[in-house]
Amino acid sequence: MRLPRIFRTAPFRLTVIILGLFASSALAFLAYIYVATAGEATRRTDQEITREMHSLVAAYDRAGVDAVNQSLIERAASERPFLYLLMKPDQKKISGSIEESPVEKFTGAPTWASFAVTDLDAQGHTMKHPARGLQQRLSGGQVLFVGADVGEDQAYVDKITRASQGAGALVVVLGLLLGILVSRNVTRSMTGLTEVVDAVRNGDLGARAQLRGTRDEFDELAAGINEMLDRLERSMAGHRHAGDAIAHDLRSPLTRLRARLEVAYLDVEAGKGDPTQALAQALEDTDGVLKTFGAVLSIARLQAAGAAPDPVLFDPSELAANISELYEPLCEDKGIDFAAELQNDLQARGNREFLAQALANILDNAVKYTPSGGAIMLRVRRRSSGEIEFSVTDTGPGVPDGDRERVVERFVRLENSRNEPGAGLGLSLVAAVAEAHGGRLELAEGPGKVGEMGPGLRVALILPRA
Amino acid sequence: MRILIVEDDLEAADAMERGLTEAGNACTRAADGEEGLTAARDGEFDVMIVDRMMPKMNGVQLIETIRREGDQTPVLFLSALGEVGDRVEGLKAGGDDYLVKPYAFAELIARVEALARRRETGSVHTLLRVGELEMDLIGRTVHRQGKEIDLQPREFQLLEFMMRHAGQSVTRTMLLEKVWEYHFDPQTNVIDVHISRLRSKIDKGFDRPMLQTVRGAGYRLDA
Repeated sequence: MRLPRIFRTAPFRLTVIILGLFASSALAFLAYIYVATAGEATRRTDQEITREMHSLVAAYDRAGVDAVNQSLIERAASERPFLYLLMKPDQKKISGSIEESPVEKFTGAPTWASFAVTDLDAQGHTMKHPARGLQQRLSGGQVLFVGADVGEDQAYVDKITRASQGAGALVVVLGLLLGILVSRNVTRSMTGLTEVVDAVRNGDLGARAQLRGTRDEFDELAAGINEMLDRLERSMAGHRHAGDAIAHDLRSPLTRLRARLEVAYLDVEAGKGDPTQALAQALEDTDGVLKTFGAVLSIARLQAAGAAPDPVLFDPSELAANISELYEPLCEDKGIDFAAELQNDLQARGNREFLAQALANILDNAVKYTPSGGAIMLRVRRRSSGEIEFSVTDTGPGVPDGDRERVVERFVRLENSRNEPGAGLGLSLVAAVAEAHGGRLELAEGPGKVGEMGPGLRVALILPRA
Repeated sequence: MRILIVEDDLEAADAMERGLTEAGNACTRAADGEEGLTAARDGEFDVMIVDRMMPKMNGVQLIETIRREGDQTPVLFLSALGEVGDRVEGLKAGGDDYLVKPYAFAELIARVEALARRRETGSVHTLLRVGELEMDLIGRTVHRQGKEIDLQPREFQLLEFMMRHAGQSVTRTMLLEKVWEYHFDPQTNVIDVHISRLRSKIDKGFDRPMLQTVRGAGYRLDA
């Protein structure tokens, strides 16, 4: 059997648990009150009985059995709430307000007994009252019993017990009501979120939770879910975009390759043109397409993963030194002055392979665009913010201010560089590597115009502090 | 050389077999991992070329199995998965080299030859000798015709690799991977510049060049 929804909510369950705890502590509290009050009443009655017994024993010791007898008669007339029974040594009644002793086995020592007395109420009904008494032997051998009707005490205790039960029931009912109320409230707060989750599950990634402006946990959760969905949507859009971009990126070089093959085929068929050269050209084109494909794939994977794989702690200057060692002879060959300025004792965190490739791409670009007689400077330093900066400054033509953002986009190559080889993916990959490391790519003007040279370009790959 | 080709792409396997046979090798083929395992257990091979992703038993499982059985034949993995992690996994399983698809045929041949050769010169030498060129691995010195040649540390490593693979073509990618330990392709001809520096040191002033450029493949050091 399934409980109604409201009883299955977490807040309701929680309320029931708290209610249980509360009820047991209330029970303990009432039990204490019971012991304190009811126990106290019994103790007081016992004290009174003992005092009465003492005063009668004192009278007996002073003036003998007749004096006791006399006082019993007097006291019975004065409507004292005590019950008396004076007996001969063989426990036959001499006088008193009850007929026989409730003490069953009397050894002679003072003995307590609980019993019941019958009484007639105002309407003539027989009433049984609980009573209690003390029996003891007098020094002359007679036996004296003094008791008291404890009916009123008992009624008082009963009242407390009934009140406790009522209070307990009230606590439970109020608690359940409270539980239902809290559950309702929480459920209402959750319903919005559940609806959003359902909508997203059904494919509507645009669903967002309504904020109620209460700034409570539910609002925080809703805001968190909304932000998560925003990111997810951006990432999905990125993937779609990446797919479109890959299609575009590969379609154009493949179209070129196909056209070239077709022309070569027609030429060879017509008996003109050199088939070997056509095939060599086709192979070279294919390699170009594959290189582009590799770069596109790396970018797409980095963007999809959102984080660099297998990050390690490493010395960024050592990484830069290794790459400079690879590029320095190339610069020298081209008549470019190459210098490296590497700060010691730095630490960065990232994927060395990707970062090495990013640096190589930046240097590839710098070498490609810097004319003979120019200079390239590779620098690694820690910024005052704690970020690690790899920068490559060249004295090439640079990139006009308005185009700097654009060259990082995939396949953008500026008009004046069309005749240089390369797929135009270099800086996009660098940007993707930087982003995957939580860093960024910054492009700025180089050292400025000097004669024919410059103004140059400064490319900085910035990694967050390790 | 006897070469086992384990590749489920039959067309690719055909091309490989033809090229390797023309280069003077004896090839055996298997079309999936289980067939490859049987062939590897039955035959004696100098090199195995194993595709990573195959039906029935993939390349990694195949190599792990034969390595457990004590077979130390050099293995070249072929794979469409080229990330560093994939490479590491392949080498950990017992592969000796890793080539990402698609590859140039010259690259494949060069790597297969390098693997077969590595087995031949498995013992530890402190002196390498190729023709009139001598390399002392402990003293870190190089002599040609008794004349000492001064090399930078990287040039020394580069020459050591070329000497260990003397007579074989080595590709630019191989040099970048084995000497510099980078697994990406630079857009510029960085390796050529390093080779030409090395060449100017070991060949300049001698009667004939030892460091040859192999068209469409890479370089070769001849005795």
